Amino acid sequence: MTDEELLDAFPGVRIDADNAAWHRGLLERRLLVNRCDDCSRWHHPPRPLCPACWSRSITPTEVAGDGFVALVTALRQGAPQPGVDYGDGGHALVAVELDEQPGLRLAGTVVGTPAGEIQVGDRVRALWRDIPGRLPRADFEIVAASTGAGRVGRGEGATR
Amino acid sequence: MSTRRNPAMDQVAIVGLGRSPYARDRQGCTPGSLVSEACVNAIRDAGLGPADIDGICGSMVSAQWVQAALGIPGVAWFANPQAVIGNQITSAVAAVSSGMADTVLVYHHAYRLPWASRSAAKDPMRKRATLGVADARSWWGTGHNDTGPNSLYGAPAYAAWAGRYLHDYGYTRETLGLIAINSRTNAARNPNAVYTEPLTMEAYLDGRMVRDPLSVYDMDIPIDGADAFVITTTERARDLPRPPVLIHAATLGHTDYGSEEQLRDLEHAGQMVVVDRLWAKSDLTLADVDVLYPYEGFSNIALSWIENVGYCGRGEGGAFVADHWVEAEQRIMIHGRIPVNSHGGSLSEGGTQGAGHLHEACLQLRGDAGPRQVDGAAVALVTPGGYYFNSQGILLRGDS
Repeated sequence: MTDEELLDAFPGVRIDADNAAWHRGLLERRLLVNRCDDCSRWHHPPRPLCPACWSRSITPTEVAGDGFVALVTALRQGAPQPGVDYGDGGHALVAVELDEQPGLRLAGTVVGTPAGEIQVGDRVRALWRDIPGRLPRADFEIVAASTGAGRVGRGEGATR
Repeated sequence: MSTRRNPAMDQVAIVGLGRSPYARDRQGCTPGSLVSEACVNAIRDAGLGPADIDGICGSMVSAQWVQAALGIPGVAWFANPQAVIGNQITSAVAAVSSGMADTVLVYHHAYRLPWASRSAAKDPMRKRATLGVADARSWWGTGHNDTGPNSLYGAPAYAAWAGRYLHDYGYTRETLGLIAINSRTNAARNPNAVYTEPLTMEAYLDGRMVRDPLSVYDMDIPIDGADAFVITTTERARDLPRPPVLIHAATLGHTDYGSEEQLRDLEHAGQMVVVDRLWAKSDLTLADVDVLYPYEGFSNIALSWIENVGYCGRGEGGAFVADHWVEAEQRIMIHGRIPVNSHGGSLSEGGTQGAGHLHEACLQLRGDAGPRQVDGAAVALVTPGGYYFNSQGILLRGDS
């Protein structure tokens, strides 16, 4: 795919050399997250260097899309968007903390569970949907409810 | 005593306050009309004229525009840091204390854009207010490309972290409600506040949910309005008509987790950087504070600030507010004497990203707060901003 084709696939998005691989991955239904070749740490959103060790040897590397809900809210209003329903409890919006590294998170929505029933700590996995008029992105679905035990995922950062 | 270098301590003062009144339904205004009104009022309040200003530092309206509009003949230093108000204040303090400028005009405005309120959406001219303006986050190059309803850019992240706060520390929405009710109660004594009717907990809990767990009562009120401040050396301030408000210490605070959803947790946020630095630069302590201004553009932020400035431990803010709640007054009075956001804050006076909090702190220290004046207010702590890239602390004192 040429750069022009990539840009055409994401109209209105500021795609550049630092984040192109992430967006190319979305078109292939792959989550390509930047990983450092020298210290193995992951980071997101994509930067031109590793925030942990300053290496510029970075490889966009596929993550499984498995993790847990670290943050959750429900949007009850907003601009109309394909695939988004703000009514009836709201549109679920979560930050998913990926299994690959503590604190490494992706934002997205959750499919198949009412927003009001989503809990911090719920186990999720990525899924891909074709929604006409929407830019390519991953969504999530719950695979196991939170056990409710204690506080989840605190104290460990993405790059330290 | 301070443990960190602070050569500007008490050497720079706020000598003029100006405002373009906050309003929810103002027609025919522009960012320029709001800012220029506030600036003219502030310069007049300071007993100065345009030729006395040699530095300009504002947020979105450019310094060049303000200089030309006000006919300020010569400016030796200017800057336009992004909001919120601590960015302008710390820059101005640096300019004055270093000698880059002697007297700096500081300003910030709020202007309702079409998506912020129904009445703003009906104003056809507002639809062109952002014509030619780049998407801010994209322009800053922070890597945030994702601004739709499936992203945690901006306001939705505050709701998500509010939910995480309630989850982690075992609170309910009633805890957030105390912050909203406190602001509304205090606003009743502020003729410049846009919402002054009392708010009950029952009404709060019935409020229209916008982004769970935050309802309309938990989010700052969109308004048109502006604030301006004139800042100069304390030495010069003492020759001017108003009681000087000395800037004792001021700081910004960021962490390296610059994206909302990547913030490590609420115990490793910009607020911690602010508080560590602010107290280290100060000869004052929390026990000296008479009036407190924790930003509450989203109600949960104020709970975090109350914890982090040192009134209680992390996660104990909700319990602390309940313990210091005066039922008969329907507001917080810390230790029975320290009001919190005495003007009504962003939740009831109107949302100006902390500029209104700073304005009120200065009024209190000057003794100009009218029916809400706190007797003998000598030290004010203002903490604008939230968690990520805008946490700030400003410690002010009267010139006694």
